[in-house]
Amino acid sequence: MNLATYARRNLFRRRGRTILTMCAVALAVLIFCVIRTIVAEWNAGADAAAQDRLAIRHKVSITMQLPRHYVDDVRSMQGQGVKAVSFANWFGAKDPKERVPFFAGFAVDQNTWFDVMDEMQVDPAALADWKKPENKNGAIIGDQLAKAFNVKVGDKMVVTSDIYPGDWDFKVLGIYTPLRRTVDRNTLVFRWDYLTDDPRATFSKDQVGWMVARVDDPGKGPDISKAIDAKFAEKDDQTLTMSERAFQLGFLGGFSAVLRAFDLVSLGILIVMVLILANTIAMSARERTHEYGVLRAIGFPPGHILGFILGESVLVAVVGGAIGMLVTMGLINGMIGPFIEENMSSLFPYFSTPMRVILTAFGAAVIVGIIAGIVPAILASRLKVTDALRRLD
Amino acid sequence: MVPVQYNVRSLFVRKVTTSVTAIGVGLVVFVFAGALMLREAFEHAFGAAGRPDVAVVIRKGSDNELSSAITNADLDRLKGRTGVSPNGGVIGEVVVVIAGERSDGSGAMSNVLVRGTPAEGFTFRPEMKVVEGRVPKPGTGEVIVGRAIAGRFNGLSVGGTFDLRHNRPLTVVGVFTADGGSYESEVWGDVDYIRHALGREAGVSSARVHLNSPSDFDSFRNDVEADKTMAMKVAREPDYLRKQGESTASFLSGMGIAFAIMFSLAAMLGAAITMNGAVANRSREIGTLRALGFSRFSILTSFVLEALVLAIIGGVLGSVCVLALTFVEVPVINFQTFSEIVIRFHAAPSVFVKALIFSGVMGLIGGLIPAIRASRVSPVEAMRA
Repeated sequence: MNLATYARRNLFRRRGRTILTMCAVALAVLIFCVIRTIVAEWNAGADAAAQDRLAIRHKVSITMQLPRHYVDDVRSMQGQGVKAVSFANWFGAKDPKERVPFFAGFAVDQNTWFDVMDEMQVDPAALADWKKPENKNGAIIGDQLAKAFNVKVGDKMVVTSDIYPGDWDFKVLGIYTPLRRTVDRNTLVFRWDYLTDDPRATFSKDQVGWMVARVDDPGKGPDISKAIDAKFAEKDDQTLTMSERAFQLGFLGGFSAVLRAFDLVSLGILIVMVLILANTIAMSARERTHEYGVLRAIGFPPGHILGFILGESVLVAVVGGAIGMLVTMGLINGMIGPFIEENMSSLFPYFSTPMRVILTAFGAAVIVGIIAGIVPAILASRLKVTDALRRLD
Repeated sequence: MVPVQYNVRSLFVRKVTTSVTAIGVGLVVFVFAGALMLREAFEHAFGAAGRPDVAVVIRKGSDNELSSAITNADLDRLKGRTGVSPNGGVIGEVVVVIAGERSDGSGAMSNVLVRGTPAEGFTFRPEMKVVEGRVPKPGTGEVIVGRAIAGRFNGLSVGGTFDLRHNRPLTVVGVFTADGGSYESEVWGDVDYIRHALGREAGVSSARVHLNSPSDFDSFRNDVEADKTMAMKVAREPDYLRKQGESTASFLSGMGIAFAIMFSLAAMLGAAITMNGAVANRSREIGTLRALGFSRFSILTSFVLEALVLAIIGGVLGSVCVLALTFVEVPVINFQTFSEIVIRFHAAPSVFVKALIFSGVMGLIGGLIPAIRASRVSPVEAMRA
């Protein structure tokens, strides 16, 4: 019988306890992954924001609009690195039958929107159709929204608004295809002229909610932003230009504290993992004190005792961590994630644990194994042989 | 019945194991109680504000004051309706969110709700108290900020200024409290000055209506909502405010409780491991107890009780630590308006009752299987070992 066999047999001497501890580690890894996934997916939209796009909004408030002619002013800045400009208004869309709790509705410039927002792909024929003058009430929608409203291309759909009174009728002309996984599949996109020409939208007559500008060189983004803002600095309506990422984060800026709290909570589950594992290892080490005394007495150096205990701790953590990884991949990415995407798409359009989160969790489990084992290991290795042999329990 | 003292002393003998397990349970209870305190915080901030004899009128189809709009003519038509208090009973207010840069130097932006109200608006909320500076002069660009957001954004402290439109600055002249309600996360100024700055002189966002008595609410609402020419929606002020916080509150506390329940599974495993160890180490003691005549059931209850005591020690520990959260203020987003509200964790007695029950349940579940094992110990074999 060699040392490795001794260590391996030790591991399963209290089979129930070892298995329970491995389960606890696996569970902690799973919980850690769930929390980190929420944080990661919360920011996913902003993280995937296009590098070469700037958002131009009203300086004072997201609810205040900019005059339509500002679009032409920004378009005229081609020499300064602005490639293309599109614009949109927030419609405050609501489902009159409340099948969808929340979805985005934009009134956009049909001639430029999908060129600038090229992560949403629309069939060229549908797009051409949408631009025809007679299709002013045409809409391009996401596939999930189409499913929720139970409409297909060619159908009518009725939407109400939080901002503009009454029912709004649209004709579905196309379904956009998301080219990136962070693209919301619940969005309603319709023509800006349909909104601005409606008497119910006098408040938005010839106004745009915000503009999106595509720039030649993402590195020049900050300079171009300054140039755009400078252009309107003396106007009544001043602009605030920022990267698309900053624009997206701006809506949920107040949530940064909450996300930090989630970070702390995910640290909390690691501490729980340390406590459970340390408890198990300490119990085992205490039970075997007498044996370790014997090992020392027959000539094993203290380092071996240390190695046995630390090794056992790390091994339990590694096996538990590996089980946790597999369960996470199966459970979150295979079952819960799709469920959340299907049923809570307004909060989490995408919910799957990124590989880096899973690997972080596994790494954390290994570190937890070391931390949990180190104190019992040092204590046991430092114990005097005579004291150890005297202990009987 | 085995004396409880036996269990308590056993727990004290195994100091390390007991404290490690109790700390684990305590951490879980901390998360659980924290989530409950967050829920209470919303209840406190949104439920505490508002008076039952005040009705909020917004445009039908809107969910909040921000997206609502009422024309001046319609505002006038609210006056003198059934149940409306005759003197100064109706005020129109304008609500807008503005971008504020955080004063922590991070350059991060968030949205702040600005409310323009007539002079009567201040007397409409008797809970409002000026704690620093003074009340703004009517008709001017002076504003007063709520205590919860004062100082959190550049320009939002006494003496500071911020732009509502180019060259139309607002000056902060005071700080107010409102019994901890959500109004404390708002900036208040003069309705006409703000409307003018926004170019929205034609109307207001919403109306507050002072009723003769709370019982007049239903007749007032029926009267207004039946008037098809106006398309308005009426709600009691406390109900309206509570609804404002509802989606954020249920999202956050739901998330917190989901975390706590997941955590509790781990803590139950931890408790089970500890109790299993206890049973294994004490099989000789258990055998002796059985030989002395204690029944299987007595042993079972004894060990379940021990697990319960262990978990409750953790529960008390977690509950005591969680009290520290009452000093913590967190900014969150009101999903309705995207504006920032600052809430403070609120410790209601019910939180601690629930936390202790939660820890007890963890102890019961975690301790049950080891206790069953203990009750099955055969006295003869245990004493021979």
